[in-house]
Amino acid sequence: MKTRLPEHGPIETPRFWRTLEERIETPEAQRAAHDEFLPGAIPTGPDYDDVHGLPPQNGVSRRDFLGLVSAAAALAATVACDRKGQGTVVPYTKRPVEVVPGVANYYASATHEGRRVYPVLVKTREGRPIHLTGNDEHPGVKGKTSPRVMADVLRLYDPDRLRAPKAQGHVASWADVEAQLHGALRGAKAAGKPVLLVSGAVVSPSRKALLADLKTTLPTLEYLAYEPAVGDAAEVAAQASFGQAVDLQPRLDKAKVILSLGADFLNGEDPEAQAAWGAKRRLKSAKDEINRLWVLEGPLTLTGTNADQRVPVSPSRLGAVAFALAKELAAKGVALPAGTDLSGIPAGAPAGIPAATWSNLVKDLRAAGRNAVVLCGAQMPAEAHQASHLLNAMLGSEAVAVRAAEPLATVKDLEAAAQKMASGAYAAVLFWDVNPAYTYPKAAQWKEAVAKVPFRAWIGQVEDETAAQCQLLLPENHWLESWGDYATPGAAVLQQPAIGTLYDTRQGEDLLLGLLKALGATVPDGYHAYLQVRWKKELPFGTSFEQALHDGLVKGDAKASAPVFKGASVAAAAKKATAAKADGLELVLFPGFATHDGRHANNSWLQETPDPITKMTWDNPVAVSVQDAKALGLEEGDWVSLSLDGATLRLPAVIQPGQAQGVLALALGYGRTTGGVAKGMGVNAFPLVGLDPASAHVRGGAKLAKAGGKKELSRTQSHHRMEGRDLVRSLTMDEFAHDPQGHHHGPELVTLYEEQRFPDHKWGMVIDLAACTGCSACMVACQSENNVPTVGPEQVARGREMHWIRIDRYYEGELENPKVVHQPMLCQHCDNAPCENVCPVNATNHSPEGLNQMAYNRCVGTRYCANNCPYKVRRFNFLEYTAYKTEPETLANNPEVTVRPRGVMEKCSFCVQRINDVKIRAKGDGRAILDGEITTACMAGCPSDAIVFGDLKDPKSKVSQLVAASRAYRVLEELGVKPAITYLADLKNPAVEATVGGHHEA
Amino acid sequence: MHQFDRAFRFVLPAGAVAVLLTVLTVGWFTQPDRFAKGYAPEQPIPFSHELHAGTLRMQCQYCHSGVDKSRVAGIPSVDLCMSCHKVTRTDRPAIQKLAKVAASGEPMLWQRVHTLPDHVFFDHRPHVNAGITCQSCHGEVQTMKVVTREMGMRMGNCLACHRDPHAALPAGSKITRGAENCAACHR
Repeated sequence: MKTRLPEHGPIETPRFWRTLEERIETPEAQRAAHDEFLPGAIPTGPDYDDVHGLPPQNGVSRRDFLGLVSAAAALAATVACDRKGQGTVVPYTKRPVEVVPGVANYYASATHEGRRVYPVLVKTREGRPIHLTGNDEHPGVKGKTSPRVMADVLRLYDPDRLRAPKAQGHVASWADVEAQLHGALRGAKAAGKPVLLVSGAVVSPSRKALLADLKTTLPTLEYLAYEPAVGDAAEVAAQASFGQAVDLQPRLDKAKVILSLGADFLNGEDPEAQAAWGAKRRLKSAKDEINRLWVLEGPLTLTGTNADQRVPVSPSRLGAVAFALAKELAAKGVALPAGTDLSGIPAGAPAGIPAATWSNLVKDLRAAGRNAVVLCGAQMPAEAHQASHLLNAMLGSEAVAVRAAEPLATVKDLEAAAQKMASGAYAAVLFWDVNPAYTYPKAAQWKEAVAKVPFRAWIGQVEDETAAQCQLLLPENHWLESWGDYATPGAAVLQQPAIGTLYDTRQGEDLLLGLLKALGATVPDGYHAYLQVRWKKELPFGTSFEQALHDGLVKGDAKASAPVFKGASVAAAAKKATAAKADGLELVLFPGFATHDGRHANNSWLQETPDPITKMTWDNPVAVSVQDAKALGLEEGDWVSLSLDGATLRLPAVIQPGQAQGVLALALGYGRTTGGVAKGMGVNAFPLVGLDPASAHVRGGAKLAKAGGKKELSRTQSHHRMEGRDLVRSLTMDEFAHDPQGHHHGPELVTLYEEQRFPDHKWGMVIDLAACTGCSACMVACQSENNVPTVGPEQVARGREMHWIRIDRYYEGELENPKVVHQPMLCQHCDNAPCENVCPVNATNHSPEGLNQMAYNRCVGTRYCANNCPYKVRRFNFLEYTAYKTEPETLANNPEVTVRPRGVMEKCSFCVQRINDVKIRAKGDGRAILDGEITTACMAGCPSDAIVFGDLKDPKSKVSQLVAASRAYRVLEELGVKPAITYLADLKNPAVEATVGGHHEA
Repeated sequence: MHQFDRAFRFVLPAGAVAVLLTVLTVGWFTQPDRFAKGYAPEQPIPFSHELHAGTLRMQCQYCHSGVDKSRVAGIPSVDLCMSCHKVTRTDRPAIQKLAKVAASGEPMLWQRVHTLPDHVFFDHRPHVNAGITCQSCHGEVQTMKVVTREMGMRMGNCLACHRDPHAALPAGSKITRGAENCAACHR
């Protein structure tokens, strides 16, 4: 589609819009709106090879050939028909006492991503993990977790996992590789030569102790904990402000005013913050207390889309703006910490921020005081972080907890290590669950340096860029096969294996323990024993290790003094913040929503979950602001060349409304060269990361030029468009107080059909758009629960993605800084469902409990239902996405849900398998179903509790009460289809006098 | 003879008979329970339900213990057999084979007698909890030396009972109908 931006503003614009095409009403977009399936989604021509999506071919087509072959096979099968071959049943030989075949068991465990710990509950069936949710006993996460953690169950069954150790490129036994490893390190110890160990962040106290033990036994050990996509600037700033590494954890339950400096805390990564956010946003009445979110940021982040007031500011200016804010607050009487010098900062509102907005922000922060908090994005420059530390110290904010943390290595430390490696100083190097050959900015130099180390070993799961350089490959367990522990605020968390090792792999810690033993230390046998010894010493009286394992945690907070802010650090940072900036565009590199720093790139569930902002799948285009795109004459999908510091990338561009002028945004973690799923998806942006840790991910001086041609984008935002009808509603607090239904007056519904009767239950759902942040956790939860297949980038580009629930993202108002509303959209289970009337074989019909049910075995694939669905939530298996899959991939399937073959329609079932299970169990117990007992996967996965499911026949149920709320509305109610899902209008709480944010009174 | 006359006299009746015969033959061969009934595959251990459930009057749930807890009744694990057969009838070759399997931990491959397609999610729990006997669907298992299939477990079998369950239910049961909507079994 062509997307040339208009020279002048559009003559008439819809209030809400999703794509640029829609906003400026290109003919293609209008045409697309009229068709259910995108051009190319439905194969045309008799010989069209729709298995591979190839153009018609000459001669006997593949399709005809297959037709003949299958007819012949069917005939042969009929002739040879026999009732034998019903298969076998294989019972346990020794049944574990806790396993009843067919009944799920749940185990508490935990994992981490960088410094963030996720206590989880693992659902296992007959011993294999199939679904992950948060641990509901944990006081922080309260049963929620992040989309990436939920999808990590698929990584356990990744067919690319290394299944046995390798030495010098050949499969070897553990005895062989361990002998080599131990021999090399004993040699290094004897020679007194340094050994380098590179790994990720350490958040486990036992792992920390183990590393300390290793350091004692091998004094020449040098250790680097490197997080390539999140660490550097925050680390530099923490050292300057607090004199030590810290972990800042938002406590949004205490926050009335939140100022985000490019911080993306609502992107699903932090279930705790999101739960607190949701609790402050799910308002019953306009009198309830609501928080206010101010966002100053360059690229549009998910947090920015949830802002009440958002101002586009380029990231390099954030420090200066935040220091100006501190100066303004100080001038208004807020005390500065001792030793703070802000003389270098000019007084008054910084350029580009309207005076009214500025004064509102200052007023808000001052009024909220201890209940205000300033959060800074991990990738933002160090000065911005320091300014946020200063502001929090000035306000005395209670809404952020400062905790001492284990220091992380920065890109500078890696540079030093590379130089030392190149000089030949190291005797050995060990890479443990890190991939610097991919994440280090100057990969070629790094690889050259590594090659100079005589002994190189790699511990990891899937052979990656770093493994390619190592002599010894030691396959590591997935975290669901491992032991471990973590320290979190409020509880010490235990990690236990939920499954035995699938392959001949070992846990990284076990390898280090083996090494310790080989080097002459006395250590317990195995990491499990090591953990037990440590824990038995520290467990509170009366708690057994087994009980702690069962719960997955021991509540209680370790007493530690909070690090104190040092005012003296400010002067230098303030000076740096106001210094002149480089010419050209400013590039922001951020961890990919799906891939993070590339570690999740081989996960197809995540690759196919659309980025919540750009709605891109399987790719990382560079996002360009509307103004810059106009200046450069760019259109959506144009190939561009992005150059910075001698590195040039060729990649497609997308135009991002709301992005600050002069800012480019690009996700890290793509462009991997290894992994069956990850390989070749997107481009590797790590070469653009800077070597200055204070601003490694925000780089000035980038150049962007058209490179000719266009890429077909695998983007979902323009799919399933619902014309310019009233689908999302967003209210300001003022509107909420006075006229929540606005001009929308419920249409009088007349029907020719008999009223539906629901004798026992009527299942329904309420989705609160005010609490929904658009984080897409529901999508991943649904994918895992319902065996939703992934289809790949080519098929997504044709609109054939299979997600049962999607997040529609609507923009409102001006292109340069729109307001955004996210709307989860799934089957509405209409009482008068239009899909049901048109099915020629009655494959989709209504259940007496209000479910729009779909019988796959009856479906013949006419697709009439999808054509007639006003919500566009039906998904057709155009190709065979599942039947060719074999173990281990199929082990991730939920055995309670049919795996659908090619040629059938599918859609959300309201997790009918869960409904039936609870119904049957309640019946067995001879009791009624409790409200809240049935949770759909999306509801259980939603970290901000925006989704509520229940029985509408029960007047006391939560869902019945919410349906009557003043913000309630049903999408396309005027059609008379009577959807079972009720939405509660989004809420924005802008500062009253403000004019920014593109707010139009409706 | 006129051309049409011949057609009406011979070809049409012969054709009609041929069609009828084909329909009847195909219908007889493919009738639901013809294939189903009498299927009694040979099992790795010649386990006799007649002895255990009939003569010894062991409860079905002693071995098929999942039936009121799980969707599937479950085949007992080998160690459950061994809880008696460690000492009972250890001289029999079949029991010795069993003991060997239990000791080695090798899986035991029982031949399936009843099976359902992958898109059918039958749940034993509500049926057993409603007091429906195992025999209603599985036949008089306590009289079978070798388990033999009695019912085809086709959707017609399910629906017949769901529409009129009184024969299967114990006397005095308040249940008058079973679920007939798709999502009760298909999902």
